[in-house]
Amino acid sequence: MDAPLPYPVAIDVQHVSRRFGNFTAVDDISFQLPFSGTILGIIGPSGSGKTTTVRMLTGALRPSDGRIMVLGEDPSRFRRSTRERIGYLPQAFSLYPELTVRENVDFVASLFGMLWRRRRRRVDEVLELVDLAQVRNRRAGRLSGGMQRRLELACALVNDPSLLVLDEPTAGIDPLLRVRIWDELRRLRDDGRTLLVTTQVVAEAERCDAVMLVADGRVIALAPPNDLRRTASGGDVIEIELAGPIDPRVLFNTPGVLHVNQASPLSLRVTVDDAGTASPAVVDAIGSVGGDVRSVRETRPSFDEVFAVLVTHHVDSARAGDTLAVRDPGAAA
Amino acid sequence: MTFLKVLTHLIAFVGKELVEVRRRPGALLSLIFGPFVIMLVFGLGYSGVRPALTAAIVIPPQWDLQVDVTKASELAPAGISVVGVVSTVEEGRALLQSKAADMLVVAPPNPVQAFKSGQPSIITLEYDTVDPVKSSYAALAGDQIAAVVNREVIRQAVEQGQHVAGATSDLSSIPADVVAAPTRAQTQNLAPTQPRTINYFGPAVAALILQHMALTLVALALVRERTSGQIERYRISPVSAFEVILGKLLAYGLIVAVLAAGTLALLVNGLGVPMLASLASVAGVLALLILASTSIGLLIGALSGSESQAVQLSLLALLASVFFGGLIVPIEQLSQPVATLALLIPVTHAVHLLQELMLTGAPQALGSVFALAAIAVSGFAGAWFLMRRSLAPA
Repeated sequence: MDAPLPYPVAIDVQHVSRRFGNFTAVDDISFQLPFSGTILGIIGPSGSGKTTTVRMLTGALRPSDGRIMVLGEDPSRFRRSTRERIGYLPQAFSLYPELTVRENVDFVASLFGMLWRRRRRRVDEVLELVDLAQVRNRRAGRLSGGMQRRLELACALVNDPSLLVLDEPTAGIDPLLRVRIWDELRRLRDDGRTLLVTTQVVAEAERCDAVMLVADGRVIALAPPNDLRRTASGGDVIEIELAGPIDPRVLFNTPGVLHVNQASPLSLRVTVDDAGTASPAVVDAIGSVGGDVRSVRETRPSFDEVFAVLVTHHVDSARAGDTLAVRDPGAAA
Repeated sequence: MTFLKVLTHLIAFVGKELVEVRRRPGALLSLIFGPFVIMLVFGLGYSGVRPALTAAIVIPPQWDLQVDVTKASELAPAGISVVGVVSTVEEGRALLQSKAADMLVVAPPNPVQAFKSGQPSIITLEYDTVDPVKSSYAALAGDQIAAVVNREVIRQAVEQGQHVAGATSDLSSIPADVVAAPTRAQTQNLAPTQPRTINYFGPAVAALILQHMALTLVALALVRERTSGQIERYRISPVSAFEVILGKLLAYGLIVAVLAAGTLALLVNGLGVPMLASLASVAGVLALLILASTSIGLLIGALSGSESQAVQLSLLALLASVFFGGLIVPIEQLSQPVATLALLIPVTHAVHLLQELMLTGAPQALGSVFALAAIAVSGFAGAWFLMRRSLAPA
């Protein structure tokens, strides 16, 4: 039996799989998400099992194997009061095009049993929040794609949920609006809410507190974004520019140096266990053989690169029967 | 608190559906004006009077009956119009082939002499049609023509006999007409309203239109929820299948009830259909019809995977109603298994009840009231069951 976690758990997924006939959409995934103030990003390519995972978490799908607990309950048997604490943004626009923006949000608020007075106030609040107050009387079918996405977000927020499940909230949205939506999600996180966000945009991993990379229905890695970077590159990476060429082998025995790659005669890419402590030692080692360092800077691989490395590693590991370490996202929260 | 939440859900569903219907002007137009226009055109255009069969009569030159062309026209039974009298069969057939006449009546050469000699004469009837109704009507007309000619033959024979016998015979004082046709039927309809096509078929057509509208509208509305992804939202939201189904029933029940009120007003005030029963009892039957039809529509919507499938099933229900609902063919003429199936259709019962209530003032078929209620409850329960399955985790 696992030891109890040091924080309340909003989502607890243990060895969950979901099959559709012979196709396995989700394959033995496990993770936990603390109750408050965390954004967990599920990132992966189309068809990697993100939406299936979300649908199982919201109780729309039953897992074929394994156990899921959300807010302390099995999602397939959520009580009404538990459902009232969850906000959901589906992947596709599913609101009523003939209703106005306000009417749509008001309808969803009614589904959560909110009475008229509270509903009126809350609908106005969320429309202000997602910047749709100016078009509140416009029919949803006449909104732009970005506005429709914001309308969906308003509907997901209207019941003031403690757990928000957002399936690709930024899909089809321009970069500027994407930034605004993420700012809003982080504000909700700071407000103490738990958010589970799926996305195909790998760069958005940066904005999450913890990232779960998925491919082919399996979890490739689960850790805070910086830890994933370190996992992908094998440590911190520092780039060194030299005034003249040196023999890179002088760095092999330097404390903290894990790997040295000579990109050109005058530039080195050195992987170290901790850039803060290893960088001075590396500079000293170069100086000890008469080398002259022009610049030293720590580089952060983009998440596209991280994702590519981890997926490649996943494929290689799967062949070798190995797995990547999965870290507790609660530690990042 | 739970009651308030359920009430909030139901009001939300009803309000949402009403707003959606109102925002679709095309649908609104066909909803409000479509049925009225159909009924108006039906009322104005359908006389219920079958056009007379046109007949050409062949009277041979040696014809011994004292009947000329004018007399032949006068003697023709109701429903037959004489368009020509010719002396040869060939001339008559030419009229038949050119469609100038629907039938050809060939008179026997010497009917009075044959009668006096104790021999029957044959009146030949020829017609050229593939329409079974026209064919039956022509055969019936043949019998009527034979009866008229028989009466005329007897009348003329009696007149000649009385002339020969003079005043010595007891029969001489009896008019030849009476001898030829001693009895004559006199009919009296005891119904409180006189038969009129629009009176009889108006309520039936109204019931059919209301059933079709309720059924199609709610079925399409429910399917749209599925195809637009709303069912997924309901599955995750704190709403129950019962609330979703009841919300739809109330919303579309209300919409069709408004249309039913307008339709009834048009029937009574516009087309002059009698209204002998109380407004409350007619409204009650219409309410039951709407509930039963909406429930069947919910069932169709819950069973259909797409809008086109829902439309197909709705049209099948319409066809079944037209053929088995007693509008065209009386249910009594259907075989027992098919007649039993007809009882599952709301309009079967509604037509019966509305005609009795509006035209006689007193319903004889109270069983139909229970049947409508049973259809409403069964349809709702079936739709509820299917919606529960839809909202359950897959």
